[in-house]
Amino acid sequence: MVKHSNTDDPWALKVLAAVAALGPKRHYDPVITSELVKKDLVSLIGASQKLEEKLELTHSEARHDRRNIIGAIRGYSEMLLEDSDALPSAVRTHLLQILAAAKNEPAPEPHSPTKSTALLPSEEPGVILAVDDLPENRELVSRLLQRTGHTVISAESGEEALELLDTMGVDVVLLDLVMPGIGGAEVLKRLKDDERLRATPVVMISGQQDMDQIVGCIEAGADDYLLKPFNPVLLQARISAGIERKRWHDREERYREQLERREQFIRATFGRYLSDDIVDEILERPEGLELGGDLREVTIMMSDIRGFTTLVEHLPPQQVVTLLNRYLGRMTEIILEFGGTIDEFLGDAVLAVFGAPRRNDDDPDRAVRCALVMQEAMADINAANSADGLPEVEMAIALNTGSVVAGNIGSERRSKYGFVGHAMNVTSRIEDVADPGEILISHTTFEKLAGEYQFGNSRALSVKGIEAELRVHAVLGRD
Amino acid sequence: MTTKESRPLLLVEDNEVNREMLQRRLQRAGYSLDCAADGQEALDKMRELLPALVLLDINLPVKDGWTVAKEASSDATIQDIPIIALTAHAMASDREQALAAGCQDYATKPIDFPELLIKIERLLNS
Repeated sequence: MVKHSNTDDPWALKVLAAVAALGPKRHYDPVITSELVKKDLVSLIGASQKLEEKLELTHSEARHDRRNIIGAIRGYSEMLLEDSDALPSAVRTHLLQILAAAKNEPAPEPHSPTKSTALLPSEEPGVILAVDDLPENRELVSRLLQRTGHTVISAESGEEALELLDTMGVDVVLLDLVMPGIGGAEVLKRLKDDERLRATPVVMISGQQDMDQIVGCIEAGADDYLLKPFNPVLLQARISAGIERKRWHDREERYREQLERREQFIRATFGRYLSDDIVDEILERPEGLELGGDLREVTIMMSDIRGFTTLVEHLPPQQVVTLLNRYLGRMTEIILEFGGTIDEFLGDAVLAVFGAPRRNDDDPDRAVRCALVMQEAMADINAANSADGLPEVEMAIALNTGSVVAGNIGSERRSKYGFVGHAMNVTSRIEDVADPGEILISHTTFEKLAGEYQFGNSRALSVKGIEAELRVHAVLGRD
Repeated sequence: MTTKESRPLLLVEDNEVNREMLQRRLQRAGYSLDCAADGQEALDKMRELLPALVLLDINLPVKDGWTVAKEASSDATIQDIPIIALTAHAMASDREQALAAGCQDYATKPIDFPELLIKIERLLNS
């Protein structure tokens, strides 16, 4: 037993106490089979006796000697632990404690910064899974980490660790490398293979002799490692770093999910009215969500089924819906195909624009080509209608080009990307006079066309609010 | 006896307990080893045995490690023997001093044994 209390060398005292805890030789000697291990243990005890002899010498040379002897005790315990198979587990535990004592000089007592940081409650306590087959190691880790406010769950095998990981939210895994059954390296591999667990930081724990395997584990995705016996300060530091990494990852994940939800929302909201590439464009621009009002030139398309209101009165509601969906479905496809933006459906009427939110030089041409394809598609729609016993229908389309205000229009509660302006009214007026099966375009649109088309008679309309007559042209087809 | 590997290492350390421990560990790691307990004995044994490498404690009686290293580097018969200085403090000045004195490497006490083995192997194989 250590009798010296008047020394100023707390480190030596700590080491001596740890060695003394081994107890009398008769307790462990009979259960050790290896002669070399016995001899090393004797050397270790011998070294501690030398250390004790030098304890009361105060000159600096004696202090230097004590440091050397502590180094020797550390060396013997390290060496003995390398043969840990030959050691009873109680001796092994004592040796781990001796090694810990010999390795770490205690911090000077009053207000040591190292000590105070080590024992302060962690700023971000987390859930730590400690995996070790030795109960004393699990207990040590739990005690150290709980002291700083962490929640520690422990597992005594790789199997148990994997089970716990599956069901518990764990911030950091402290993973012993060498365990019977599923070893640390395998647990690490399975964790990294699992998409949900991959981001959980892993700190490997091992003895010096397994350095090669530790390197392998770091390569396989372990975040850090600790050598046994751990320095408590280092353990806390690694755990804190791990928790911080995990928190960053979680935040990033949440942010990414938020973005994804937003994107899904935008696609769902706009995807029905805008072609995919325009949705992409809106999403890619950071200001995409704020489709603020701006004045722009667009080609407006209005179409409707002639005589639809009368038709509806004679059909059962289910058939009306079938008819409408078939017609609007096909028209939507075509309009989106030509890069038009569908502003709204009003019963059988479709309002679409070409040139917003994205302007192209050929907006009027695309609108006209789109209208022609829409009219052609009516044959198929009517064939399908006939097959279902539904009446055939005819559509009229009006096109006009002019400036409109485009933007999110409405109230805070309900708004949509829409268009307002005189050009809209003009289009509506043209639509009113268009014949069934006809495509009627304003003179403004007519003048902006670059492609060659066949036109029918042009005629003049008078429109409320416009002094001059409005000239319109019927498009018959492409040249 | 021409290859380096067949020649012993020389461990120079005055602290008996530490010397025995290091001797035991190095032998266990597969090295043959001779020991010296002071600076003069170290130089004598270097000349006599031509060790493959010297592990030289710096704080030595009779002649300290720096003196041993300097004398060895000016003696043509032993100046090529690599020396790893074992210093007590992890101070940058120790490192400078060790290299200036003609040591090829240094290790601070308490010795990190695996690291020491790496340093020994590196010098033996260079």
